[in-house]
Amino acid sequence: MTGQMMKLEVRDELLAMRREPATLFFSVLMPVLFFAMFIGLFGPEGATDASIIAPYGTFAVLAVVMLSPGIGLADARDRGWLRVKRVSGIPLSMTLLAKVIAAVPYAVAVLLAITVVAVFVGGMTVDVGTLLRVFVVLVLGAMPFALFSLAVGALAGTTASAAILNAILMPMVILSGLWFPHEIMPEWVVSIGEFMPTYHLAQLAMVQVEGGAWLGHLAVLGLTAVVGATVAALTYRSARP
Amino acid sequence: MSSVLAVNNLRHRYGAVEALAGVSLSIQEGEFVALLGPNGAGKTTLVRSIVGLIKPTSGTVTVAGGDPAKAIVRRRLGVVQQDVGFPRTLTVAEVVEGAAARAGGDPATAQRALDEMGLDEVRKRRASDLSGGQQQRLQLAMGLVGDPALLVLDEPTVGLDVSARRAFWLTLAERRRGGTGILLTTHIVEEAAAVADRVVVLDGGRVVAEGTPDELRRLLPGRRISARTRVPVEAIRAVDDVVSASAEADRMVITAIHAEPVVRVLLDLDRDLRDLEVATPSLDEVLSELTTDRERVAA
Repeated sequence: MTGQMMKLEVRDELLAMRREPATLFFSVLMPVLFFAMFIGLFGPEGATDASIIAPYGTFAVLAVVMLSPGIGLADARDRGWLRVKRVSGIPLSMTLLAKVIAAVPYAVAVLLAITVVAVFVGGMTVDVGTLLRVFVVLVLGAMPFALFSLAVGALAGTTASAAILNAILMPMVILSGLWFPHEIMPEWVVSIGEFMPTYHLAQLAMVQVEGGAWLGHLAVLGLTAVVGATVAALTYRSARP
Repeated sequence: MSSVLAVNNLRHRYGAVEALAGVSLSIQEGEFVALLGPNGAGKTTLVRSIVGLIKPTSGTVTVAGGDPAKAIVRRRLGVVQQDVGFPRTLTVAEVVEGAAARAGGDPATAQRALDEMGLDEVRKRRASDLSGGQQQRLQLAMGLVGDPALLVLDEPTVGLDVSARRAFWLTLAERRRGGTGILLTTHIVEEAAAVADRVVVLDGGRVVAEGTPDELRRLLPGRRISARTRVPVEAIRAVDDVVSASAEADRMVITAIHAEPVVRVLLDLDRDLRDLEVATPSLDEVLSELTTDRERVAA
């Protein structure tokens, strides 16, 4: 019964993303178009491996995992649909988990799309093993950010959630050097950026390509997950159904 | 016959405000109970406690023998709530089939509910694109799937046209015969009186009256008499059984403990008396009388 209910919840969430053109555009298509534009303008800067996609891929995955679950939750709350689900015997945790799980295929899809762009526009050579490791790190590493997304969606309305989540995501993305490399940024931006969990997620993906120390990055992501889970638990308890 | 709902001494506070101050209520299999009361009486808090959306401060709620805080018990409930909008991305059929699956019911119950609520021909349309009345019927269909032990209906007929209303009441009558207990909250008092076995009046978080619609009507003594007459008001006021009399437009409106002596006097004094009407108090008047004291205090 629990498995069947979970399947239904995930199906509803996948349909919600597939049938909502705005979600598809902003979560999948726009990051890919930006990536094509960046790589067309600045080129791969000498690199031919998966390091071309690691920083920008971090942003692309976060755009899906950090925006969709929270905005979807806020919309369900605003409509009273969350009340319907809770009354019908769906545990709240299952509804929330389904929103996160449903974001995963879209995160993988956007990674695949920028990989195709990187190959055909940036001349990236494909090493399947490395790519697979980068994908796994980015998708799993983005999960703590989904907890923050759900916490915002549990408290704010739909429009406010979209604004708040973008206001959190975009500065982190820029400060972490995911759009423009730290090499061309002022020193103070780099200093702040190194405190961002998004920076450590991108670095953990880079380690899969270039090697190097990974424990510190993993520890920061672990801490982010603990903080995210705590914030989320406190938020859901006080959120109106 | 077993109980499908037992509410025992339920209390709930929102900060300093006591929304429920010790409510007890029970519904048996196949019984239809209407919950009435003015705005702020505590109806919504009571309904939300029953369906497991809020945890009461004290007291107990038992639905079909279990605690509605548990998801498995909530699946024995069919609920129609106020102010619910559907997702833009699901079709009518997907919404109802999903509700049936979540209730653990046979998928055939989804089709039955769609048919009962006249929604089969719009089954492929997006739920959010339906008209207000159709969306209300869709909620009703969701409440009916899974053959619930208890149906909780919060203002379920808002937005329904006459034929949809009739179909709805007929469907409920059939479900009652199958043993489903029903709790209805509504502002359409006479509609509740027409369909309910028992009426519970809530005010200030307390049950202030309970009984069959006829029993409640008898709580307000007397009869309402009105007629077109030339008899002076003073003459009527002098009759023993008269509680009050007033001239309103071209009619005299009289409240009396017993109607017969007053009617006899009216007929004796005015041979041209016309449009004589004698009525028992309506449930609306009873409800208004039962809940007026608190409103006066609040004012």
